Amino acid sequence: MRNLFVRESGNYKTSYVNDMKLFGTVSQKVKIAVIVGVLLLVPLFTSNYWIGLLTLCAISAIGAIGLNILTGFTGQISIGVGAFLGVGGYTSAIITSTYGLSFWISLPLAGLITAIVGGIFGLPALRLKGLYLAIATLAAQVIILFIISRWTSVTGGTSGMVLSRPSIGSFTFMSNTSYYYLAIVILLLTVLYATNLLRTRVGRAFLAVRDRDIAAQIMGINLFKYKVLAFAVSSFFVGIAGALLAHYTMIVSPELYSTTVSIEYLAMILIGGLGSVFGSIIGAVFITLLPVSLGMAIDMVTVYFPDLYHLLSAFKEFAFGLVIILFLIFEPGGLAHIWLNIKKYFKLWPFSY
Amino acid sequence: MKKSKKLLWMLLSALVVLVLAACGGDDDSATDSGTKGDSGGSTDSNAREVIIGGLWDLTGGTSDVGAPFAEGAEAYVGYINSKGIEGLNIKLIGKDYGYVIPEAQKLYQEHRDKAGVQAIIGFGTGDTEALRQQVAADEFPFVSGSLSENLKDTKESPYNFLVAASYSDQGRALLKWIKDNHEGGEPTVALLYNDTAFGRSPVEDMKAYAKEIGVKVVDEQVIDVKATEAQSQLLNMEKKNPDYAIIQQTWAATSTILRDAKTLEIDTQFMGLNWTTGEGLFDNVDAATAEGYMGVLINSMPGDDVPGMAEIEEYVTGKGKKMEDINQKFVQGWVTAKIMVEGIKKAAELYPDGDIKGAQIREGMESLTDLDLGGVAANVSYSADNHAGTKEIRIGVVKDGKWEAITDYISFED
Repeated sequence: MRNLFVRESGNYKTSYVNDMKLFGTVSQKVKIAVIVGVLLLVPLFTSNYWIGLLTLCAISAIGAIGLNILTGFTGQISIGVGAFLGVGGYTSAIITSTYGLSFWISLPLAGLITAIVGGIFGLPALRLKGLYLAIATLAAQVIILFIISRWTSVTGGTSGMVLSRPSIGSFTFMSNTSYYYLAIVILLLTVLYATNLLRTRVGRAFLAVRDRDIAAQIMGINLFKYKVLAFAVSSFFVGIAGALLAHYTMIVSPELYSTTVSIEYLAMILIGGLGSVFGSIIGAVFITLLPVSLGMAIDMVTVYFPDLYHLLSAFKEFAFGLVIILFLIFEPGGLAHIWLNIKKYFKLWPFSY
Repeated sequence: MKKSKKLLWMLLSALVVLVLAACGGDDDSATDSGTKGDSGGSTDSNAREVIIGGLWDLTGGTSDVGAPFAEGAEAYVGYINSKGIEGLNIKLIGKDYGYVIPEAQKLYQEHRDKAGVQAIIGFGTGDTEALRQQVAADEFPFVSGSLSENLKDTKESPYNFLVAASYSDQGRALLKWIKDNHEGGEPTVALLYNDTAFGRSPVEDMKAYAKEIGVKVVDEQVIDVKATEAQSQLLNMEKKNPDYAIIQQTWAATSTILRDAKTLEIDTQFMGLNWTTGEGLFDNVDAATAEGYMGVLINSMPGDDVPGMAEIEEYVTGKGKKMEDINQKFVQGWVTAKIMVEGIKKAAELYPDGDIKGAQIREGMESLTDLDLGGVAANVSYSADNHAGTKEIRIGVVKDGKWEAITDYISFED
C-alpha cells in the first residue's frame, strides 16, 4: 500500500486535460467515495436530533458556498445574503402554496428568480468597491425585507406563509432523514459546481477581478459582465438554500431573514476561509453548531450553578463575537487554512519545511 | 495491484463502519437522559411522566417581559410538583432562544428529539407562528405567551391554544370602550406598534373593527420594540391630533413613548394591550409620567385580593421571597402553565392507562370548559373547533404609580 502522504508522487501529467482533472488519481477517487459514503450513511448511526442539525448545517453550507463565490472568488462584499435567502424562500412559498406547483419546479425557479434579483442589486458593483459596495448591498437587504413585509397580498406580510414538505408521488419528505438526504444531494451538486467553476474561463475571470480588477480589465475581461454574473451565480445558490430552508421549517416570515442572518453567513465564510469551498462547509458547520455546543456547555455548568442560567444564556452572543475576532486576529485564512497547515505538517514530518 | 486495491477498499469501508458505529451509538441514551430525572412531587412508581418543553426569551428583545413570564411558568410547575398530582409526574424543561426564530427552531428540535417532550409552552409571536405547522405534524399542544389572532385558526394552527384574549380581541375591546366612553363626536385613534409579527398582529383587525363601530383610525406609527426614543414618530402622530393612541409593544417601548409624549406635551390618551401593562413600566418612567395611562389587564396584579392569588402567595413566600418581588407577567406565566397542566390532568382522566401523548393532551385541553382560575385571569373554555379560550379582558388605569382595574372582565361582544 502506498504511503498515504505521498499519493501524488509518480503521477506525471502529460496534458493540460490531465492536469485539470478533478478526480485524476485513484486516491482522489477513493477519498471522494469515502466522503460521500460517510455522508450518506450518517443517518443510520445518529439520532434524529443530530440529523436535523446536520440538515441545517448542509443548507447553510449551500448558502455559504454561494456567498463564497461572490466574496471569496470575486472579492465583492455583500451584506444582502439574508434578504436573498428570503427571496428564495418566499419565491418557493408563493409558487408552491399560492400557485400549487410542485417543489421540484419551484426549487430551480426560486434559484433563478433570486439570481435575477441578485444580479439587479449587483449593478452598483461596477462603480462601487469595498465598504461602499457593502452599504449598497445592505440597501438590498433593507429594501427586499421592506417589500416582503408590506406586499401583504402576495407575501402575507409579517404573518408569513405556510409551506409543506416536498413529495415525489406518494412519498413525502416529512422525516428528518429524508430531508437530510435531499439537502446532502443538493450540497454535493453545489460543491461539484463550485469546485468546477474555478477550472473554467468564468472562474478564472472571477479570480482575476478579485486580485486586481484594473489589470483584469486591461486584459480584456468585461468587469461589468463578470461582476453581475458573480452576483447572479452566488444568489442562485443562496436562493436554493433559502428555498430548502423554507420547506424544512415549513414557514417563511420576514423576521427569519434579518441583517443578523447576513452577518452570520459572512462569519461562516470568514471563519471557514475566504475563497475555499471546503472552508465554506466547515464555517457553516461551525457557526450552525456554535449555539448548540454553547447551550450544552451552559447546561453542564448550570447543574452546578443553577441561578446563573440567565447570565450564561447571554454568553452566547458574546461568544459569537469573540470567536470572529479571534479568528480574524490569529488565523485570517480561516479553518480551511488551519486544516491545510495540519495536512502540510503530516506531509513534511519529520521535517519542518 | 488489483488485489491490493481490493484490500484497500475493504479496509477503508470496515474502518468507516467502525467509526460511524462508535460515534453514532448514543441514539437511545440521548433520549433516555432527558426523560429520567427527579422532578420531585409524586414518588408513586406508577406515576406517568409528562414533559413540557419551554421556549423562553430571557436575553432577547422582549426579555423585559419574557424573563418574569418564564419564572412564573417554572414556578407553577414547581408548586404543583410540591403539592403532588395523583398519578402524574410533570416536568418542565425551559430553554432560552433570545427572541431569535432560528434558535427557537433548533431548541424545538432539541425538545422534540432529545428531551422527548409531549407539550410546549412558547413565548414570542414570530416563533410560535413559525412552529405551528411543525407542532401540528409532531402533535404537541402549544400554549404561548403570544396571543396572536392567527393562532386561533384551527386549520393552520390545530395544536395551538390561547390562554387569554387575543391581541385583536383586546384591541377590539379597547376600541369599544373608546366608542362607549368618548364624549363629543367621533373619536379618533392612532395605532403605535412595532415592525414584527407581534407588533403587526392586531393592526388590520383593529382597523376593520374601528370602521365597523365608527371610530376613526387617523394614524399608524412604527416604533421599534426596543426603541429608546420615539420623538419623530410621536410628532408625526401629533399632526393628526388623535384623541386616543393604542400601543402594541412591551414595557421598553411603552415607557419610551410615555416619556417622549410628556416631553413633547402631547395630550393624547394613551392606551395599550396586555404586554404594555404591569409594574415593569415604572422601572423606566416615574409615576407622574405614567399617570392616567390605560391598558389591558388580562391577569391580576400580585397582591390583588382574589382567591386565585393565595396559591401564588403561598409558593412565593415559601421560597423566601415577597409578593413585591414578582410582577404581573410572573402571574401570566403562572396562569399559562396552570392551564396546560389542567389540560394534562384532564387527559390523564380521559386516558387512565398507557403513556400520555400530545394528541391526548390536546383532547384534554379541548374538554376544559369554563376553567376557574380564581379571578387571576378570565375563565377559559376550549372545544374541538375553538382554541381561543376567552375574549374577556379588564381595562386598568395607572393611579399614583399603581395599576387599578376600572372594569370587570368584559369583552367587546358585551
